[in-house]
Amino acid sequence: MSEINQLVETEETGTNMRDEIRQISDQFRARRQVRSRIMVTLCAIALGATAVPLLLLLYQLFKRGLPVVLHSAFYTQLPQTPTLIAPNATGGVSNAILGTLVLSLYASIMAIPIGVLVGVYLAESDSKLAGGLRVTAQTMAGAPSILMGLFAFSFIVRDLNIGFSALAGSFALAVLMLPVIVISSEIAVRGVPHTLREAGLALGAKPHKVSMKIVLPAAVTGIVTGIILAISRAIGETAPVLLVIGGGYINSWKPLDPVSALPLSIYENAKSEWPSLRTEVWGIALVLVVFVFVLSLSARIWASRKQQAR
Amino acid sequence: MSIVTPPPPDFSPHEEEVPEFNSGTPSRTWYHYLLIVASLVFAAVSVGFIGTIVWNSLPDFAHHTGTLLGGNGWQSPTGPFGGLAMIVGTVETSLVALIIAVVIGLGTSISIVFILPRRFRNIVATLVELLAAVPSVVYGLWGFLVLAPWMLKTVIPWLDKWPFSHELFGNPGQQDGQSLLLASIVLAVMILPTFVAISREVISVVPHDLVEASLSLGATRWQVIRGVVLPTAKIGLFGATFLALARATGETVAVALVAGGVANVQFHLLYPGTSIASWIATEFGEAQGNEISALMALGVLLMLVNFGLSLISRGLVSRQRKVLAVV
Amino acid sequence: MDQEFMAQVETKVDTPTPVTSETTNEPLARGSAAMQLKNVAVAFHGRTAVRDCTFDVTKNRVTSLIGPSGSGKTTLLRALNRLHDLTPGTKVSGQILLEGTDIYRGDITVTELRTRVGMVFQRPNPFPTMSIYDNAISGLRFNGVKKKALLDEAAETSLKSAALWDSVQNRLKVAASNLSGGEQQRLCIARALAMDPEVLLMDEPTSALDPIATLKIEELMTELKKRVTVIIVTHNMQQAARISDDCAFLLMGEDRAGELIEFDTTEKIFNNPNDSRTLDYTLGRFG
Repeated sequence: MSEINQLVETEETGTNMRDEIRQISDQFRARRQVRSRIMVTLCAIALGATAVPLLLLLYQLFKRGLPVVLHSAFYTQLPQTPTLIAPNATGGVSNAILGTLVLSLYASIMAIPIGVLVGVYLAESDSKLAGGLRVTAQTMAGAPSILMGLFAFSFIVRDLNIGFSALAGSFALAVLMLPVIVISSEIAVRGVPHTLREAGLALGAKPHKVSMKIVLPAAVTGIVTGIILAISRAIGETAPVLLVIGGGYINSWKPLDPVSALPLSIYENAKSEWPSLRTEVWGIALVLVVFVFVLSLSARIWASRKQQAR
Repeated sequence: MSIVTPPPPDFSPHEEEVPEFNSGTPSRTWYHYLLIVASLVFAAVSVGFIGTIVWNSLPDFAHHTGTLLGGNGWQSPTGPFGGLAMIVGTVETSLVALIIAVVIGLGTSISIVFILPRRFRNIVATLVELLAAVPSVVYGLWGFLVLAPWMLKTVIPWLDKWPFSHELFGNPGQQDGQSLLLASIVLAVMILPTFVAISREVISVVPHDLVEASLSLGATRWQVIRGVVLPTAKIGLFGATFLALARATGETVAVALVAGGVANVQFHLLYPGTSIASWIATEFGEAQGNEISALMALGVLLMLVNFGLSLISRGLVSRQRKVLAVV
Repeated sequence: MDQEFMAQVETKVDTPTPVTSETTNEPLARGSAAMQLKNVAVAFHGRTAVRDCTFDVTKNRVTSLIGPSGSGKTTLLRALNRLHDLTPGTKVSGQILLEGTDIYRGDITVTELRTRVGMVFQRPNPFPTMSIYDNAISGLRFNGVKKKALLDEAAETSLKSAALWDSVQNRLKVAASNLSGGEQQRLCIARALAMDPEVLLMDEPTSALDPIATLKIEELMTELKKRVTVIIVTHNMQQAARISDDCAFLLMGEDRAGELIEFDTTEKIFNNPNDSRTLDYTLGRFG
């Protein structure tokens, strides 16, 4: 403790140092407080700036789209092209609504089983294959969606000679949904407390039975939430389906027929020369956004309710 | 203490009594096989995804080596297919969008973690989630039908008043408002939730006792944020930046609706332009043969950029976790 | 329980020893108060966590806050540098005076208060992105000190006070996370001391450290009190007996609020406390 004894000897210089420090800090104190308040206010403004675009968008959506969606013809009629004699004859978007439902149905059938199984595998295995698949899923989940369209075009439309069809669109969407479901399923299964698994094993049950009958049921909430979010994402995507579904103008559910989809119909009509179509487009956008929001929010609410029930 | 103590009982297992329950190989049930099969299907799809696009792009590389990055313009349908305009457009719009999104996003994340009262956190989190859930085509629609006229009426005349604005940004005159700047703004709104989600997470896991320690030294709130929290979270914040950049480069339809779709190599933000992803989307419908191959080549480029940025981002985020583990 | 310690206690219970000066055998006069607490209570969202705290913290002495877990010791400590300001819904009532100034209602800003009342935390928490040097003088930098000569001097002084200078003087620019746990905690002590505070609050500073590091820091405290007044929360009563001059014993009451049971010199608390509950605690009858 010699260094401390040294210190006692330097008492005098110590006091000078203390005074100088006190003096400087008193001098700067007010300035620092003001600066802090300014920066904190700027951050709060940034928060507002984040909220503003969404609110503006929602305002426009409802203002321009609400009148459109309140007519039943919007949902039941097929689209028509306005003519000079009947510039407001836009028809409806029944084909797009049906198309979106059909595409999500087929895509879900393709993507959900495989996605969930792979997610479960990743959660239960530490092998090199699992590690590689995890990186693959994370990379694919962030990939630009237009690439899924290219893939579906090359594989389904051209090589398998199926042509522009609902199947091609569903395939593209399935490739989009698959990594998302894999990741969320893995998180859901990993979220099950490992004590649950250990209890099952301790009772003498075989590992795979423990997985199936104890761990998976406990992870169902998380898995379903992930699926709903994947579907809500797929519904809104234009790029994957743009190249491959053919923009069918009929109501069809057959996988080999070309179909339309809500986002596609927005994309096609946004730059239309007909003002009536440009107005209708807001209605389609409103329907799409409400659909997606309802899915996202219900997934969130359901997940948190189940969390509380635990 | 007795001299003759009996030997301790022999508890070592005798050979014939050891049950063979640790055979080394896990039991292969149908469950295990099912999982492996699903994993192989997933692997096949992923490989097919990358492989198909690469395979289809090869003819372009064979015929027009070097022109993909060239500025000779995109001559449909015969070629050459120069991708420089798309690359420049992607870089410009993504970087401008990134700057806007990072500045606003960082302020937003800081607000959420340090300024917002706790009861509002849920509302704001939901708001950010909804912002992320809006389909990109709707952003594009809003950009084209609402923001573009606003830019023509308000922003461009305002920019006009600044010195050097024509040299820096261009002089668009009477156009419909589609421009790289508009694309950048729309992109910024779209990548904002991505950045906020990750940066908020990274900032909030900075240990609270570092905040308390710096406050106990007499620091102001901003000094705590700027001097301790942000430096500690720095690596993760870079990770968030790279991920937002990755998203910006891959965005297709929103850009297609507002950028103008013109394949010119130019740097003026007020003029229309294009990006790699949006060019593929708009040209593919009418493309034949060689052009398809060229568009696939653009797709390969896009894939490389996106995967690279994604990889860097993930690496940074996991490095950030290690920094915090030491604390 | 330590057998030797028990034996000592039991002999001393029968023969109360008044506090006397080591040299003249006369009772020591108390020095002036660095901090004074009058009926201090802390409540979270209306629920009282600790109350009835009235005592004076004498200058240049080590005052320890002891008691079983849940008795409100840490809550009380954190009121002394207004850390509760961070937690919404917290109300601190009563009076806490620093050299006569009410720290909550008086003419002193929170930032100024915290430069005069420093704090060391339970787990060592040096700033991970800063070097040893930067950590030591971080408080000065926050307060606007830029002069290199002054910073260097403060760094050396504070690191010497924390008995760390000898081992780090050649690697001051090295990242603080390279130090061992005990060294990191001494760096945190240096960091707090660099501000030259009047009072140093310590919240169980050795509970996360190994015995050797603990011992080093305990040795430090007996020297530190020459420069600062130390208030330490500890759940280790042997530690309190070893290092502190005065002791405040807190206990959770039936309403689940901690209250001050007894405050006196450490000798009195451990040898001949006034309250039977204090005696029960020091004899290890509950913990």
